[in-house]
Amino acid sequence: MTVAPQQVTSRSWPVRVRDVTVRYPGGVTALDGVTLDIEAGEMVSIVGLSGSGKSTLVRTINGLVPVTSGSVVVGEHTLSTLSGRQARAVRGSIGMIFQGFNLAKRTTVLNNVLVGRLAHTPTWRTLLGAYTAADKQIAFEALDRVGILEKTWHRASALSGGQQQRVAIARALTQEPRIVLADEPVASLDPPSAHAVMGDLRRINTELGITVLTNLHLLDLAREYGTRMIGLRAGKVVYDGPAATASDAVFEEIYGRSIRQQDVLGG
Amino acid sequence: MIPTTTTPPTAGPRTSYLDVPPRPAGRWKPWAALAVVVLLTAATLGPWAIGFDADAIARNWRNGADRILKLLSPDWSFFPRTVEPMLETLQMAVVATVVGAAVSLPVSLWAARPTNPNVWTRGAVRCALNVVRAVPELLYVAVLVAMVGVGALPGVIALVLFNTGIIVKMVSETVDGSDRGPLEAGRAAGGTQSQINRTIALPDMLPSFVNQTLYVLELNVRASAVLGLVGAGGLGLLVDAVRTYYRYDQLSLIILEILVAVLVIDLVSSIVRRRLV
Repeated sequence: MTVAPQQVTSRSWPVRVRDVTVRYPGGVTALDGVTLDIEAGEMVSIVGLSGSGKSTLVRTINGLVPVTSGSVVVGEHTLSTLSGRQARAVRGSIGMIFQGFNLAKRTTVLNNVLVGRLAHTPTWRTLLGAYTAADKQIAFEALDRVGILEKTWHRASALSGGQQQRVAIARALTQEPRIVLADEPVASLDPPSAHAVMGDLRRINTELGITVLTNLHLLDLAREYGTRMIGLRAGKVVYDGPAATASDAVFEEIYGRSIRQQDVLGG
Repeated sequence: MIPTTTTPPTAGPRTSYLDVPPRPAGRWKPWAALAVVVLLTAATLGPWAIGFDADAIARNWRNGADRILKLLSPDWSFFPRTVEPMLETLQMAVVATVVGAAVSLPVSLWAARPTNPNVWTRGAVRCALNVVRAVPELLYVAVLVAMVGVGALPGVIALVLFNTGIIVKMVSETVDGSDRGPLEAGRAAGGTQSQINRTIALPDMLPSFVNQTLYVLELNVRASAVLGLVGAGGLGLLVDAVRTYYRYDQLSLIILEILVAVLVIDLVSSIVRRRLV
């Protein structure tokens, strides 16, 4: 099950964000002139209060949110220049993990994980539900990596929150991704599950060499699980530096207020 | 988790100290709506309107009582003649339900916003369905009988249209109200809309789909009894015949049979629902 890290590292992608502004139809400016360079294989925590633009930022990186101005380059692909088909292919190489897990609750864990193969599967095969043995093998390996292979045939809704998030991580891994984006992946979890999920994300980064970007609002998690930290406030980058040494003063600067009890997970 | 000590809130209701925000305006709106309904009803009951007078019940009560007596004494000997039409009715109902459900499954997804983001195709599908639903099934049969002749076929076609209208409306509204998160995950994984609908939207909409399908099966048994009146075969033809000869005792047997059929379907569908949903 172990893959030589250096072999996979070459497959992971860097992200270049150039002067990106995102303005929603309602007139809200979610990102305001953001420029970032994230190298292949980095483990980045993106920190900010809700409404600071974190969710929008990760969604511009896989093209779910189009930029109003500026450019996003992932690997060698400039997102705004892609056709629909090319954009789907690029998204197929970028795994995404959500706060609410976003599983199809009434179907099996395996079917959920196989969603990660959609971009690599012809539509007719999907419609017939005829997944190839190779795709299923990839799905089983991903489930094994996050330690819930024995839940393969369970209904997603029968799993605990922590287990559901691991299914979601397995779904992302099944994409054989070059980048993994996680949008507040532990905000709905209890502290032990939160640490387990963050540990899984770290292993994806260290063992597979995949670039991982994680949105967080808890400062201890951001310090512990990121090598680099980016602070967002009102759509602007207000901090970009090492995560482990970011002091409380840095967080107060990012949040624009003093640190409180609820900014720490503990556990 | 770090245990925290918090001071317990002071006990007792102290509303006078609380800064309760003012209640929003607009509470009169439901009352105004009710008033409009009452006024409209009163207007339709006026002498200038459709003119039903309750006197008719009193004037014809002797006739009515006679009919009711006959309805209360079913002619059991008529049963053998009802078997074949009953089976035909059930066949029509089942075939129409199966075909209607098969058509409705993809159309429901095309008619709902989360599963069909394209404004134009969604609008076209919804518009077509509004037309389909607007036409009463009796009218479908009346037209279809002229086109394909008397018999079960026009009835089945009419029921399929009727069923598609109902299933698609109910199921697509359920899909409209469902959580968009899982669909976003499918999009993030690079799936096409059809792939996302098949793998993520379909499993979640199945309970609603099964429910509606079982419901229209029940409706079909009842409806196909009426459709025969305008030439669509099944029990309805028989109903038409016995009604013409004022055989209310035979009519009551037919009504009983429909009741039994509907009850059995209801029983079966509640069992299926419990197992599937």
